[in-house]
Amino acid sequence: MTNSDKFKSIIAAILQVDEDTVTDQLTPDRVDTWDSLNHINLIGALEQEFGITLATENLERTQSIPVLKSLLAQHGVVV
Amino acid sequence: MPELNSQPKAEITDAASAIAVLDAVAAQPTLVRINQAGRQIDALADLLGRVPLRLACLSSFTMDPLKASIELHGLRAGFRFETYVAPYGRFEQELIDPSSGLNAGGPQAVLLAVRLPDVCPALYDSFNGISPREAGDILGEWFTRLGTALRTFRERSSAPVLMQNYEMPLSPALGIADAGGPHSQASTLRDANARLQQLSRDIPNLYVMDYDGLVARVDRERWCDPRTRLFARIPVASGHYWRLAGFYVSHLRPLFGLSKKVLVLDADNTLWGGVIGDVGLNGIQLGQDFPGNAFVEFQKRVLDLHQRGVILAIASKNEPGSVEQVLAEHPQMVLRARHFASTKVSWNPKPPALREIADELNLGIDSFVFMDDSPVECDLMRKSLPEVLTVQLPADPAGYSASIDALDCFEQWTISEEDRKRGELYQAETGRRQLQAVVVDMPAFYRQLEMAMTLYVNHLPHVGRASQMTNRTNQFNMHTVRCTEDDIRRFMTDDQHWVVTVALADRFGDNGVIGMAVVDRGVETWRVPLFLMSCRILGRTVEQSFLRWIAEKAREAGGRRLEAEFVPTAKNRPFSGFFEQCGLRRARDSGDIQLWEANLAAGVEPIPDWIRVAVE
Repeated sequence: MTNSDKFKSIIAAILQVDEDTVTDQLTPDRVDTWDSLNHINLIGALEQEFGITLATENLERTQSIPVLKSLLAQHGVVV
Repeated sequence: MPELNSQPKAEITDAASAIAVLDAVAAQPTLVRINQAGRQIDALADLLGRVPLRLACLSSFTMDPLKASIELHGLRAGFRFETYVAPYGRFEQELIDPSSGLNAGGPQAVLLAVRLPDVCPALYDSFNGISPREAGDILGEWFTRLGTALRTFRERSSAPVLMQNYEMPLSPALGIADAGGPHSQASTLRDANARLQQLSRDIPNLYVMDYDGLVARVDRERWCDPRTRLFARIPVASGHYWRLAGFYVSHLRPLFGLSKKVLVLDADNTLWGGVIGDVGLNGIQLGQDFPGNAFVEFQKRVLDLHQRGVILAIASKNEPGSVEQVLAEHPQMVLRARHFASTKVSWNPKPPALREIADELNLGIDSFVFMDDSPVECDLMRKSLPEVLTVQLPADPAGYSASIDALDCFEQWTISEEDRKRGELYQAETGRRQLQAVVVDMPAFYRQLEMAMTLYVNHLPHVGRASQMTNRTNQFNMHTVRCTEDDIRRFMTDDQHWVVTVALADRFGDNGVIGMAVVDRGVETWRVPLFLMSCRILGRTVEQSFLRWIAEKAREAGGRRLEAEFVPTAKNRPFSGFFEQCGLRRARDSGDIQLWEANLAAGVEPIPDWIRVAVE
């Protein structure tokens, strides 16, 4: 599986949405499952699946798919 | 890095596929896998959730992220949880306020997950700034609050409350001096845990779970994640959600009859190294040095389980007689023939062998665990009998004893004398069946058994055993109502009821306490609201004699009618027909409840002469 596919399937699993809805347009405002608690799960899942450790400030929900992608890029994961 | 499941939605069509989904999560309990399985929870619950339970979770921290793991673990054990998770930190209000979510929901079990660092932070983060006296005051105040909240709740509900105990700190306040000091942080927290145990003795139906032991076992240094703890009051690291949820569920199982009872073991490469048919008695690996010592250690752990009440059996593909020879003759064997209630050695498939063992022991196949080193045998068992918990041993025998230690499905809250002797009891049962095979008519068989039945009325030392029987007995049980020790004690001490426990001895040994009934002594009508008996005693006229004894007592006291109910469940089919055999008449039905009655004025049939009766 490519990193990009893996990224999509993680987001889809945690937010309980279909994988093809995981695009840059998907924001916390547009999915009701992307609440503050699930955002923490999302960060935890990205850490588990890509084997990285993110800083506490990323637990804040003011994020989007592009922000998550660039966060992963900073840790050497290109999606 | 875990391999991501590329097929997030496995097809769930039957119990075997449902269990495969849960086993895949257990093998790698990542957040993604837990969430993927959580999405299919309704389909899983329809196939696996046979005991519905309203479970309330109260906590001093954010517990919501654990909900999916708790529900999935529950399904693996047979529970179908309807879970209520209270907002974090609200446990006192929830317990006290009659209109709280907890009280409004009518919970059947409550998890009370309070971390002492959340409610008495000074004991953890600034212990050196408080005097021993202040530390005592802090704990005193906390236990007053907790005791008040729990007693208030107890007036309203008898649901069991399971509390976790308090964890030791990651780094002791006094450093290396803490372990030995008289007023150390460690001694203060040990005192807190002792007080928690005391509280569980003072308030009925309160249980303490050794959370500190879990944290120590798993990995105290990595148990908490400071990021989620500080940001969202989620102290436990997400990698441990699955483990913690399993811990909670393992404590609930014995309270609702979902603990396993039988461990069936393979022989070759499980009890010893090598194949007996190939290498012979002297060629198998079993002894002082590796790998033989790994198998000896494994057998010792199995024996220890057996001595707390787990029934053992063997299912081996071998020449009949070969396994029996090892059990009898090999000098290094820890487990011997007397430890196994049944030994099946043949070339036939193992699933039918397990069915036969279940029939012989009169136990449900869903109370079985099967352990084998062969992936093929394990796979076949999982597919043929998904209700059996199948555990595959690791490739390296050094890991065998850890496989026993990892089992959390045999749990019981109290270990009775009957538990310690259970193996002997089932072994004696095999002797009785052999006797049955050689005698011709049943009365002759019954006479040869030399049965002596002893009845006890309101005998307080039997409280623990009586409660345990209501929780463990699923088959010969009139309606499977579960009773706590406190419920039994209440029945024993009021004026209205009798709790009658019955013990049975025969020429093969003492069976211990094997049945119980609650009797409501009215004036004209005596009622039997609870009647059950251990399945291993059935078919020897003891069950009928027990009911006749109660009927005779009612008649002697001037009673004119005896009433009892039968509520059919998925598992108590052995009970159906029992009242009819005893001469009761089906008076009426209301819903699932059948009301049966006997007219005592017509006399009570005597207890057969092959049973000697004594009353204590």
